[in-house]
Amino acid sequence: MKLENVAVLGVGMTRFGVFRDRSNVDLAREAGLAALRDAGISFKDVGEAFVGYIGAQPMTGIRAMKEFGLTGLPVTHVENASATGLVAFRDAAWAVASGRCQVAMALGFDKMTEMSMGTRSGGRGVGRDAIDSVILPAAYFSLWAMRRMHERGTKREHFAAIAAKNWNFGAKNPWSDRQPDHEVTIEEVLASRKIAEPVTAMMSCPVDDGAACVILASKQLARRLQPGRPLVAPIVSTLQSETYARGHTFMGPVVGPPSMTRDTARQAYDESGIDPMDVSVTLVHDAFASEELEYYELLGFCREGEAEKLVEEKQTHLGGRFPVNTDGGLIARGHPGGPTGLAQIFELTRQLRGEAGPRQVANARIGLAHLVGGGSVCTVSILKRE
Amino acid sequence: MSEVRKVRVPIEPGFFTVPDDPATPPRLLGSRCHACGEHFFPRRLVCARCLAEDMQDVELSPRGTLYTWTYVHFPLFGSKRADHAGGYGVGQVDLPEGPRVQAVLSGELGDFRIGMQMEVELETLRENKEGQDVVIHRFRPVEAAR
Repeated sequence: MKLENVAVLGVGMTRFGVFRDRSNVDLAREAGLAALRDAGISFKDVGEAFVGYIGAQPMTGIRAMKEFGLTGLPVTHVENASATGLVAFRDAAWAVASGRCQVAMALGFDKMTEMSMGTRSGGRGVGRDAIDSVILPAAYFSLWAMRRMHERGTKREHFAAIAAKNWNFGAKNPWSDRQPDHEVTIEEVLASRKIAEPVTAMMSCPVDDGAACVILASKQLARRLQPGRPLVAPIVSTLQSETYARGHTFMGPVVGPPSMTRDTARQAYDESGIDPMDVSVTLVHDAFASEELEYYELLGFCREGEAEKLVEEKQTHLGGRFPVNTDGGLIARGHPGGPTGLAQIFELTRQLRGEAGPRQVANARIGLAHLVGGGSVCTVSILKRE
Repeated sequence: MSEVRKVRVPIEPGFFTVPDDPATPPRLLGSRCHACGEHFFPRRLVCARCLAEDMQDVELSPRGTLYTWTYVHFPLFGSKRADHAGGYGVGQVDLPEGPRVQAVLSGELGDFRIGMQMEVELETLRENKEGQDVVIHRFRPVEAAR
């Protein structure tokens, strides 16, 4: 269903990185206050809030909200693994679009550096079945990559080229965790430490802390409060869990299958009337560079089997036909978990307003954000400059 | 080598058999839907395909085809064995009944190729406080690829 009468009023985020001396609540306050300033409103104007995180204790969301004041507003915790932030955004957009409130806040935070992977009793990973806990999460997406290489003859260099692109975008983004001081090359990515065949360390996202916040409002209110600013309107936000098909693996927090992205994106295109060819700037779940290559096809930017060509022609770089992960993506900007999807909306909003500086996509009009989350789920949001 | 045979216990019950004789291959424990015939691993009470609550416990074929694999360059979680410290294979194996099973693979980087026949076996991860071997299922290539 199409979203009507909702606009992004303000965005804010912390830089992503490792912040040993800062708490989740501290990071959340910084991002939230930045978004309120960008929106030009007071916290008492916020009618409803959705708070997303993966790693913190229950109730941390409501505690974080108290940092802004105690106004009695409804607060809902949202968790959908890596997709958490983008799902909080979806809920906040619908809270406004449904008429339930005039202004809604989506706030995400996490300290991935404090999540203990594989350190609980018996060596099990967090939230995973003991039976499946022996497998490193990186393996899941590498299984896709190895199958892709088998079916399509994809080379490691294709994945490395995507990673290098995202690292180099990171250098142009002050909010990015990784800001390399030199042009990252394919060779450098390939030579980094091996994680899970064919993925290397530089093809993988870092372990991050951070927070991000998006404030949504009715279009009338946005136009009244920000008369000089381009209106950035979410026009659709879809969310799917898996549909059963032969070949599904049931064990553990599985990622899968790639077709989830095609189905969730198709629903977003159908409901909004947007064609993939109309998309100006795209942010995807590149926890591993090999995923991003698959998403080029699944999001409809090229035909099946042509993603490698898109990489070779640098069509997803700045100046290409479909710039992807202009803020550095999960690989460079970072991936704390809860705030990741809201950092995507932060970037899309700045791109669509024309505020993206050295990474600005010329005449950006339509932005798409995509995340998958373990379990698994997929979510796609499309925003339009009006 | 006269060694007292140690008792083997599964890392989690209900997923595979642990035969008394280590020479006997284990079987994965699955479910078959009476209504639509679809097979699942692991066991479940409701059919994920037709939603019928009419499932029958079955033992699945010990052999299948390797759909995809990777090799992880990190120690195997939960294992205290030195030969698990360097890395391990992970794969998805398609069983003839239908289920695609994701599991650890036995072998070195270079031993695996998509489409090869795999067989399930049990691997010891560690010894528990009672002195029993904690085992998990994994797949090994039916014929060594080397």
